[in-house]
Amino acid sequence: MMSTLDTLTAGIEYALYAAGAFFFLAGSVGLVRFPDVYTRLHALTKADNLGLGLVCLGLAVRAGSPVVALKLLLIWLLVLGAGATACYLVAEAARAAEVAPWTRGERR
Amino acid sequence: MDPVLGALAAFIMVTAFLGILRIERGPSGADRMLSAMLFGTTGVALALVLAEAIGSAGARDAGLVFALLGAVTAVAFVKRAWRAGE
Amino acid sequence: MTAIWWAISEGDTAALAVGAPAALAAALISLALHPDPLPVVRPLGLLRFAGFFLVHSVRGGIDVALRALKPSMPIDPRIITYDLRLPGNTARVVFTNTLSLLPGTLSAKLGRDTLEVHVLDCAGEVTAEIARVEDRVADLFGVRLAPHAGGAC
Repeated sequence: MMSTLDTLTAGIEYALYAAGAFFFLAGSVGLVRFPDVYTRLHALTKADNLGLGLVCLGLAVRAGSPVVALKLLLIWLLVLGAGATACYLVAEAARAAEVAPWTRGERR
Repeated sequence: MDPVLGALAAFIMVTAFLGILRIERGPSGADRMLSAMLFGTTGVALALVLAEAIGSAGARDAGLVFALLGAVTAVAFVKRAWRAGE
Repeated sequence: MTAIWWAISEGDTAALAVGAPAALAAALISLALHPDPLPVVRPLGLLRFAGFFLVHSVRGGIDVALRALKPSMPIDPRIITYDLRLPGNTARVVFTNTLSLLPGTLSAKLGRDTLEVHVLDCAGEVTAEIARVEDRVADLFGVRLAPHAGGAC
């Protein structure tokens, strides 16, 4: 028999997955729709990292174990740091290669 | 296996496949690199979700390794692979 | 680092026999490779920064997600040059990486005393917003900054 508390935690867990899935989708849509490498980086770095954070949070709620939750948090922080650094490196390389940023009014 | 976790994993996989469009369209090497970065993040998420679904802590470590490799690939790409005009 | 190892091995104390010496060795090697003394992060500042970062990185994700999904795709991007006030390389790198995760800003090139920032939508007080983030990073390292001169996007 599921208690009310179990139902509540499961509800929170699934809501976090749904929100995470939404941001993964938005990140990919941005990667396809946005007009240049810089704007695509915005979508990838911010939306996908938030998506992963929400999925990790949902998994932590499910696991209900502090040490697993800590490990999930560490993995998320690692991806955040690596993602932000990778994002900077690609943006800087694009600047160095003189990739002009897209401006409004240009064809996408 | 909890069907919700299965559905979540399948959905994340679909969003990763969208990234293939960007590999095809490019236009530059940097744009294709973005798809690789996308596979990195979605790969971590997939490993973690599947680890929970099959109840294997080892698969969680796969997620950790994905996260570490993601950092290295971007550095390697910028330092070695991409030159202007490609 | 030993604490991190403990979390990675999911609380397996037997793994500490391998992990603890490895963590110590890694710490010593990274200290040897890093010539300058690392700036000290203030615990209270870290807590405040973590709260600020969490709230605004969520805002950042929502902002870019909506822009990507809206059929009209409302963006007006530009690259602006921001004059840095933060001293020290470590603080600047933290600032650079933080900006890329917050709403509408993406660090493109860290110069000697400037930072090129790619702005997703030039409407609004972008420079003031960036200056507020810089203040937060300064607080993390216990530094006080003069008010930013501001500037148009």
